Amino acid sequence: MNGQGLIKGLGITLKHFFQKEITEQYPDVMPELAPRFRGCLQFEFEKCIACGICVNSCPNDVLSFETEKSENSKKKKLLSYTIDFQYCMFCNLCVEGCPKDCLHFDHDFELSTFSRDDIKRVYLRPAEMDEEEEVETASMQDEQENKEQNKIEAMSKALQKNPAKILAQVLEQEEDIKILSELVQESEKTALKMAELLVKDKEKAAKVAAGFVTKEKKNRLQAEKGGEE
Amino acid sequence: MMQSDIYTVNVGPIHPSTHGGLHAEAVMDGEIIQDVIVHLGYVHRSVEKIAESKTYQQFVPYTARLDYLATNLPVLGYCQTVEKLLGIQVPERAEYIRVIMAELSRIASHQIAIAATGIDLGATTGLMYGMRDRERIMNIFEMTGGQRLLSSYIRIGGVAADIPKEFIPVVRSFAHDIPLMIDEYNGLMTGNEIWAARMQGVGILSLEDAVKYGVTGPNLRASGIAYDIRKAEPYGIYDRFDFDIPVGSRGDSLDRWKVRIEELRQSGRIIEQALDNLPEGEITARVPKVLKPEPGIEVYHRIESAKGELGYYIVSDGGKKPYRLHVRAPSFINLMVLPLVCRGGVFQDIITNIATLDPILGESDR
Amino acid sequence: MEHLFTNLAAAFTGWMITLGLSPVWADIILLLVKWIIIITIITLNIIVLIWLERKVSAFFQERLGPNRLGPFGIFQTIADAIKLLTKEDIVPSAADKLIFKTAPMFFIVVAVMLYTVIPLGQGMEVINLNIGLLFFISIGSLSTIALLMAGWGSDNKWSLMGAVRSVAQMISYEIPLAFSLLGVVMISGSLNLQDIVAAQDNLWFIILQPIAFITYFIAATAELNRGPFDMPEAEQELTGGAYTEYTGMRWALFFLAEYTNLVAVSALMATVFLGGWQGPWLPSWLWIIIKTYGVILVFFWVKWTFPRIRMDQLMSFSWKVLVPVSLGNILLTGAGIYFCKWMGWC
Repeated sequence: MNGQGLIKGLGITLKHFFQKEITEQYPDVMPELAPRFRGCLQFEFEKCIACGICVNSCPNDVLSFETEKSENSKKKKLLSYTIDFQYCMFCNLCVEGCPKDCLHFDHDFELSTFSRDDIKRVYLRPAEMDEEEEVETASMQDEQENKEQNKIEAMSKALQKNPAKILAQVLEQEEDIKILSELVQESEKTALKMAELLVKDKEKAAKVAAGFVTKEKKNRLQAEKGGEE
Repeated sequence: MMQSDIYTVNVGPIHPSTHGGLHAEAVMDGEIIQDVIVHLGYVHRSVEKIAESKTYQQFVPYTARLDYLATNLPVLGYCQTVEKLLGIQVPERAEYIRVIMAELSRIASHQIAIAATGIDLGATTGLMYGMRDRERIMNIFEMTGGQRLLSSYIRIGGVAADIPKEFIPVVRSFAHDIPLMIDEYNGLMTGNEIWAARMQGVGILSLEDAVKYGVTGPNLRASGIAYDIRKAEPYGIYDRFDFDIPVGSRGDSLDRWKVRIEELRQSGRIIEQALDNLPEGEITARVPKVLKPEPGIEVYHRIESAKGELGYYIVSDGGKKPYRLHVRAPSFINLMVLPLVCRGGVFQDIITNIATLDPILGESDR
Repeated sequence: MEHLFTNLAAAFTGWMITLGLSPVWADIILLLVKWIIIITIITLNIIVLIWLERKVSAFFQERLGPNRLGPFGIFQTIADAIKLLTKEDIVPSAADKLIFKTAPMFFIVVAVMLYTVIPLGQGMEVINLNIGLLFFISIGSLSTIALLMAGWGSDNKWSLMGAVRSVAQMISYEIPLAFSLLGVVMISGSLNLQDIVAAQDNLWFIILQPIAFITYFIAATAELNRGPFDMPEAEQELTGGAYTEYTGMRWALFFLAEYTNLVAVSALMATVFLGGWQGPWLPSWLWIIIKTYGVILVFFWVKWTFPRIRMDQLMSFSWKVLVPVSLGNILLTGAGIYFCKWMGWC
């Protein structure tokens, strides 16, 4: 005591006077950030499946999105994704919850903006995504039509080759089957029509087949009558 | 006899040395303090009410904002309370990582207390040295949890992610350097005659008063009782560590200050032991996505935070949100002795006492 | 180099007389010119000094200090001065306007007056007073009034507390300050500062009067309101003390005056204890600058290491330690001088 402590303190500050400074030269030299550092929350639109886990796990209602049910598929279509960043407390719960890894924090920590409106970030559905989807659906339709056509052709050939077996699907009585088989073998047109119906709609095919059979029966009856006369 | 008027001086809510939004109204007779009236609530965010509208997992980041200078400790307390409520068993490795992070938080909090006491008493350089050393802990938190200050890294059932591989050497070198830091604080401040004169016999908190008011933590230990929940009622795996409880004798500001400095050393010891015994394995237990405790269960769990006994009381109604959550905040209760310890002192003692009682307003106002 | 400034002054006076002015008028004009030069030097010096303190304190704290404007941040103070000049001048509505406004002016005038007697080199002073030391001490104690004016005029509790503290502190430390200088006066046998410098021809008074030097250093720190004795400002307790209500240039004037005082007191310390302008090789006016800056650096060092002392401890330290010690020093000096004379050494 009696001044020793004072002198010791002076010694410590003097020692530090000649030591290297620890100041970070921030705007000139950017700090080295750890890989896990949580800066700004980023969203990847393409990956998102609009499951809503992130929205449910967020404690502060930062995240929200809009979806639309698309017409030709049952999938939900993501229209926009909003990050109201002013409420974010960087807890990482959304990132941990996301099953598709479409949310992540980058290393950008300079988050100040000039206007309050700039804090809110809205991700709109990119136009390329819609275009891609249209192309996709169109090609799918084409493919399906082709497939059907092929099927119908195959079916008509089969009908001409071995009608009894196939027609057994739509007709019950052997007599009717026999009549229609003859008809089909005779006319390609009838065969094609039956094949198309068989591929697309079997009930209709059954009705049409029955119609063909009755019509043929009538024709034959008339022919018999005519022969007698 | 000289006649003098009684007047009041408002220390805070905006004042250079109130550590946040503390408002202490000093009733003065000249330079002598007659009384201090503590006004609280400037940082009130209704944290307890928020808990009722958030799921158990969603509330985790909010707890970090209670004691924002020792962020892992309130998170640890909350997570352990919920685990108690649901009967979740935390894996060994997670327990050890939690102890390391909790003790690092305690050191960070005490270093802020040391730094703030330094500036409050006019030793500006002390502030810089304390902050400089705390910065290393912040870097460790950034490395593990991603965030420097409020890294809600501890989660219900374990921890958020495994420690990175550079974690162990960095923490070990930090723990190794703690005695050197203590030497520096002692050389610059504790040993200084002016410092001792400012603190010795200032703000004496007798043991009876401390117990009567429910003071806990370093402030209670400075009054002369070795009460530490880590030893008295070990939670987690604290019963496996060998450490001492520093105790003061007079209960004045100097004792409180010395107890905090000594606790740095003890926390360093715990960290070194935890690093030596760190097992491999899982870092989180299997926790369901939606936590639904059985209805009608009440749980109280307490831990030794940097400021004292931090307790969480949770009532469950069977839903996925707590029916009621209460925080027993040590700072709130410790602050209540401020008028008691200030009375009869001079004006500058208020500053010394606030600094050495080390309240954190985020926690006391909630 | 040595007689650069004195020759200039003589040439200036000679030129005035050739213009047809009487020697009295020439002297008066010379005096005015000297004052203008001194005030300019003070102002420029303070720009450097503030920068220096910020830089030095930063180095003590492992920081870099100002480093953006100019080389090593040297223009930072100028930028700050421009900012302060353009700031709004707020006068509290409840303030005693006249006192509030005159206090900073009073403070700076008193501070500048201190330079009247300080010998800035061989034969370089504004006036060679034969009671120079007494003049310095008496003018120095006037700054108390400025602080009291500021505190009272602001009509603010913090300000008043700071002002009352500063009055108590300065009056208490005035006594050891004067007493510690008394030993030097006893040895040199003169109150004239040039004579005191001349008396240190062979031996600096810091060696003959070490106790007086230490007591003077402590008392001067208190007189300057510098840490660890910065009671009137005490920003952690009084949020700014006597200066709480001041803004812009008025506040800057206080700041300026404090640094002016610092330079003056350090220069006096160099003059009285460290041999003044005397020194080998370099011209005298350079020596006084070097010594003054040396003392200033020690002031910085102390301020940025120590915590602030408490008010009651400050007072008891003055009355119970410093005053008896400085009185004992006078006794010792008297006995020493008597002994010397008895032995026939001097």
